[in-house]
Amino acid sequence: MTGTKPSIVLVDDDIDFLEMNSGILKAKGYRVSCFSDADQAWQSMEAEAPKLVVTDLMMKSLDSGFSLAKKIKSDPRFTDIPVIIVTAAASRRGFDFNPRSQEELEAMRADAFFDKPVSPEVLISKVEELLA
Amino acid sequence: MNDHGIRALIVDDEFGIREGCRKILTEEGFEVTTACDGIEALEIFENDPHYSFALVDLLMPRLGGLELIKRLRALDPDLLLIVITAYATIDTAVEGTKQGAYSYIPKPFTPEELLLAIRNGLERQALALEAKRLREEREKRLLEVASERSKCSTILKCITDGLLVINLEKLVVLRNNTAARIFPKASRQNVPFSLSELEYPKTDELIDEVLEGDPGPRIVSRELAIGKNTYMVNVSPVIEPGGETSGAVAVFRDITELKKLETAKSMFVSMVAHELKSPLAATEGWLNLLLSGLAGHDPEEERHMIERSHLRVRTLRILISELLSITAIETGNFELHRTSVDMVEIVREAVEAARERAAGKGIDLTLNELLPEKEKTALADREALLLVFSNLIDNAIKYTAEQGKVTVQVAQNGLYAAVSVQDTGIGMTQPELDKVFDEFYRVKNEHTADIPGTGLGLSLVKRLIELHQGQINAESAPGKGSIFKVEIPLS
Repeated sequence: MTGTKPSIVLVDDDIDFLEMNSGILKAKGYRVSCFSDADQAWQSMEAEAPKLVVTDLMMKSLDSGFSLAKKIKSDPRFTDIPVIIVTAAASRRGFDFNPRSQEELEAMRADAFFDKPVSPEVLISKVEELLA
Repeated sequence: MNDHGIRALIVDDEFGIREGCRKILTEEGFEVTTACDGIEALEIFENDPHYSFALVDLLMPRLGGLELIKRLRALDPDLLLIVITAYATIDTAVEGTKQGAYSYIPKPFTPEELLLAIRNGLERQALALEAKRLREEREKRLLEVASERSKCSTILKCITDGLLVINLEKLVVLRNNTAARIFPKASRQNVPFSLSELEYPKTDELIDEVLEGDPGPRIVSRELAIGKNTYMVNVSPVIEPGGETSGAVAVFRDITELKKLETAKSMFVSMVAHELKSPLAATEGWLNLLLSGLAGHDPEEERHMIERSHLRVRTLRILISELLSITAIETGNFELHRTSVDMVEIVREAVEAARERAAGKGIDLTLNELLPEKEKTALADREALLLVFSNLIDNAIKYTAEQGKVTVQVAQNGLYAAVSVQDTGIGMTQPELDKVFDEFYRVKNEHTADIPGTGLGLSLVKRLIELHQGQINAESAPGKGSIFKVEIPLS
């Protein structure tokens, strides 16, 4: 029954977010692959491209999430895959990560940006919107 | 003229002259002493030299007037000396003044002639004394000015801030050693030289702002990067006593270290904010999911979510107390309550406290006591040491897979108690090991993703050990495990 539902890659080095977000998405019938590291997520994408990626921002480095988003958007195979960035780091080093306009969001190479935690309703409606 | 209290010495071998003069002078209010010859006069003067003037006869037995004048002058250069003589000739008068007499009065003389000569003499003496006082004062002041100047220039040279004084023609007229170091291009220039030779236009702009702005006292301040350093530059006008501006003073304070501290501080604050927010966000996320009912209502699933929330909240609470302890240590407000602590006993207590957790993971937790109990004590804070050893043992258990082994050992190494905690856990790479005692540093890889921690524990452990004048070292290899070695001085 879930075979027809799109697959989503979830990347977060915090096991709780990985678990709760996959719980939310699985409850809506999505197929979810979880990774605690951006490199592993990338490797899995090379094997099978997902329909959407939800990634944490700060993992091994301060901007692991940005790097992954950029890598995805720069690769012709994945350029159309929507990327959602979620982070607990609202601002860091005096640099405010929260995009204030569509241009800023695009500069981040992300389709949506959320402050943690994202409520289940918001996450689901954004995923549905981006996959529509 | 008020002659009261002015002391006079009359020296004459003729009784009539002596007493006549005494009468005249006493009536005028002078305080009079008499002597009948030079020897007696010298004795009187040497005993009490506070005389304003002396009337001296020239021809006297034992010691004559000329010799007496010479000796009195030597004793008191300001004493007014007047010669009285019946044998006045130009020669003797000249000789008398050569020896230091002011004037002479030929005998016989009237009381008026005597008093006139004395008053003229006293007046002159007063003028001379005043002139002398002024001269001395001026010399003293010159000396003061000279020493003030050298003091000022020494202070300017030694001051740690860079200092430039610029006149209205934009010439640097004064530059101290620090300023020469800040602007090496102009360091060999002798003042005055043009401001533009500093080759630093931003300074020119600041000076212009002060010199061309409204007159009056004010300060223009700016942070400027010069070379590799950052300076707070304060420029103020030099205002003359008349109110007109004659130039500008620029002070360069090196704030490079301060800026670094500021950056480090705001980095730390962002870090703390992030570390506080993560467990809260996770907890809120789990609660959101529970409330939404999206994940169903399987009691086991729900319990799992509550347990995860509970764990994160607990970690957050520990993080906050660790943060408070670290802050207290940093600000010097962390007080050690030192008592005599048995090192074997305290390590054993930490091991026993961790026993259940180790058993839960099937980890073999052993303690090697290479020290006799109740013999080796340290003057230490019991709670702090317990926190140190518990933290190290908990870490070992956390980062060791099930069925692994954690070995704690307490031994003696010279003057120190040596406690080590060794595990067969996941280990660390050298770069990871280098940062293991840094605040908020947590090794992130696939093995550590689900291990909760604050990233402050080892940082706090290290600080607590250092407060005890002890030390901690770590060795590790990925896949092989880690060993943390602590040394605490024995009492």
